[in-house]
Amino acid sequence: MKHFRTFLGYAIAGMFVMSVWGALSDKYGLLGGWFAGLCIIAPMWFLNHYLGIINNENGAAFVDQALGIAIAGTMRDVFLAGSINPLVQSIPTLIIVILGGMTGGICAAAIQKDMAKEAVITANESKELNV
Amino acid sequence: MTLKLAIATFVGAFIFPFLIRLLWGKMVENWGAIGGWMAAGFIVGTTWLLNHGIGMINQSGKAWIDMAWAAGTGLIAASVYSGDKFKKAIPTIACAVVGGVFAGFMLSLFL
Repeated sequence: MKHFRTFLGYAIAGMFVMSVWGALSDKYGLLGGWFAGLCIIAPMWFLNHYLGIINNENGAAFVDQALGIAIAGTMRDVFLAGSINPLVQSIPTLIIVILGGMTGGICAAAIQKDMAKEAVITANESKELNV
Repeated sequence: MTLKLAIATFVGAFIFPFLIRLLWGKMVENWGAIGGWMAAGFIVGTTWLLNHGIGMINQSGKAWIDMAWAAGTGLIAASVYSGDKFKKAIPTIACAVVGGVFAGFMLSLFL
């Protein structure tokens, strides 16, 4: 059941994002796309990560609903074409996006660590002043 | 893809998980669940404008590479960097792969 609900969470998020989002931005342009972010990602996040039907174990690397969404978008076009040629053409973008994403994520985590360290130092300093 | 477009793609992909990792949790901490709804609009919606609305992420082929690839892989990398175990997440990743492929197939039935 744990894996089934996790599967469902990723699948539903993937279906919404990779169909309705494009329809909204086609019809209403940039504002439609922005609004799609709000009206699709917000309830999907609430379902998958706040309510938590996607099972992310404590101490395990966090797997965001974005992974299911990403795979859904790419596979949609592979299934529509009925061949892997579109995927082969897209590999340069895929690799660069993954590298950029991992760099961004790690950079943010490093910044969090650094700021946490500073917060501890400041807290200690204020303790010393109080003494 | 030219070098210029490749660099733009890299930086566009960098920004998305960077913002999610730093801001999303804080927004929820400050505003509760509504923080998540704010984040959906002002992180995902706004970054979509940059990456796909005006096209900072260049699409080299016909299979859509969403900025979600950056978030999915970037957040796993950030989590592992902060000490969480990749191995423990493999069942969840497998569910994401199966769920994503299923969703893609369902969409190909009617789009």
